[in-house]
Amino acid sequence: MSEPLFFMMGLYQAVIPDDRQYSRRHLWLQECGPGRYRVGFTAYSVRLLQDVYFLEWSIDPETIVRDQQEIGEIESAKAVSSMFPPCAGKVVSFNPQLLNDPSGINAQNYGSGWLYEFEPAANLLSAAEYVEFLNSAWEDAQRTIKGQVNES
Amino acid sequence: MIPKPFLNAVVAMAVSKVTVVISQGQGRNPVRRQLEEDIATALLTEPGVDVSLVPHLYDMSHDHTGLLFLRSVPGNLVVLSWLYDRATRWTLDRAGVRGHEGLSLLKSAEEDAEDDEDELASKNRNGIGSVNVPNRRVYAIDLRCSVSADDFIREVRRIAGENTVQTVELMSWIGGTPKPEQLQRYLQPERMLEARRAFDSGNATLEDKAVLPEDTGRRWYPVIDYSRCTNCMECIDFCLFGVYGVDALDRILVEQQDSCKKGCPACSRVCPENAIIFPQHKTPAIAGAQGEVGGLKIDLSKLFGGDSGESAIDMAVKERDRELILDGREAVGTSIGIKQKVRDEIDQLIADLDALEF
Repeated sequence: MSEPLFFMMGLYQAVIPDDRQYSRRHLWLQECGPGRYRVGFTAYSVRLLQDVYFLEWSIDPETIVRDQQEIGEIESAKAVSSMFPPCAGKVVSFNPQLLNDPSGINAQNYGSGWLYEFEPAANLLSAAEYVEFLNSAWEDAQRTIKGQVNES
Repeated sequence: MIPKPFLNAVVAMAVSKVTVVISQGQGRNPVRRQLEEDIATALLTEPGVDVSLVPHLYDMSHDHTGLLFLRSVPGNLVVLSWLYDRATRWTLDRAGVRGHEGLSLLKSAEEDAEDDEDELASKNRNGIGSVNVPNRRVYAIDLRCSVSADDFIREVRRIAGENTVQTVELMSWIGGTPKPEQLQRYLQPERMLEARRAFDSGNATLEDKAVLPEDTGRRWYPVIDYSRCTNCMECIDFCLFGVYGVDALDRILVEQQDSCKKGCPACSRVCPENAIIFPQHKTPAIAGAQGEVGGLKIDLSKLFGGDSGESAIDMAVKERDRELILDGREAVGTSIGIKQKVRDEIDQLIADLDALEF
């Protein structure tokens, strides 16, 4: 495995390992079989979420999903969010370890805290491309978070 | 003849009992049923404790015998339910089952101890409070705190110990004795458990059915947390379905609870104090977890791939419009019932963002 990449979120250093691929939805994908990938949250996502205490899937395994389709919900100490797939594809199965206790997302987000197995139907980003995306989107992301202030 | 000191002791003992009421889960989830049964069975033999089962607290109508029973319980009360403790406490208040808040050491899972303290110290102590609160304690415990009956039994023991010394004035407000016949079933928890087992296995006899409480349907209505509510009236201005009203003291109340639109939590999002609880909503903060509704927690949906990223008010307006249209009425958007509460929300959000420490 080559040197991991980093992305600085203010003072926090988000590690972006080079041994897998990424999606702009802030998820990583690592091949675990022909055409099949394990999907998990990147360090960037986990930093935004902080301690996860609630995770619920609203679809069954083996469901074909479109891009931006809502597939579940997550709630943490600091945030709530709907869950979306990395791109269009098929959600094959969910990580059973997280079903009762989602804290694995915080403990091992790049390892045993993976979310589900997925068969993507679109191209993925390399680690370098994802970091580039993070760089270009960081201003925007901060505005999106803080924009919730100005909108209302 | 029985010596008088002995009689006094008997009276004192009777009064210092703690009553534990288990509010049963909706549906017949076997895991939940088992936990309820394990706790009830263990408490049957626990000295100083009376135990009863009632249907799901939130679903019982005002004149349901289960609520009549709860209202008739004298002295300190522990209610175990499948709800956040805040939701339980204020649903009981709504039903006229009141008392000072007893503090349980078993906390709903989402309640971080640290956050709790912050919250108690810093805010929400300017609510208008409850009225006609008798001098006793009511403890609300979330049955989702633990999967082990032992944890609950230990906590009930601790509470019973905490309440062995009883105030005399308790005697003055006991309203429920002697209990009407229809409440007798709640005094025979063993028999009720037996009937419930028979019912679940499809073998209930007519006698079993007579022991079980009346059926309840699932309901949906807001519950006001008066420790937070400042009587600002934003909810009554916002809700266009006539759910809210005021009482003789001009205090806001949920007047027409069954006019509430199933699934719609919009008033809860609009409430500046997060004082409105929908105990059955899927979002913990709306269901009564400590903490805040939509507005304060950062919504990451937009970053994670959704295109909504809406503010709490946007969501509330949308939810209300949807219900208006379903009712054959016109959508009103933000033209009615949105006030300048926005300022506060902004301050809160900025504080929350600072806490993120990028």
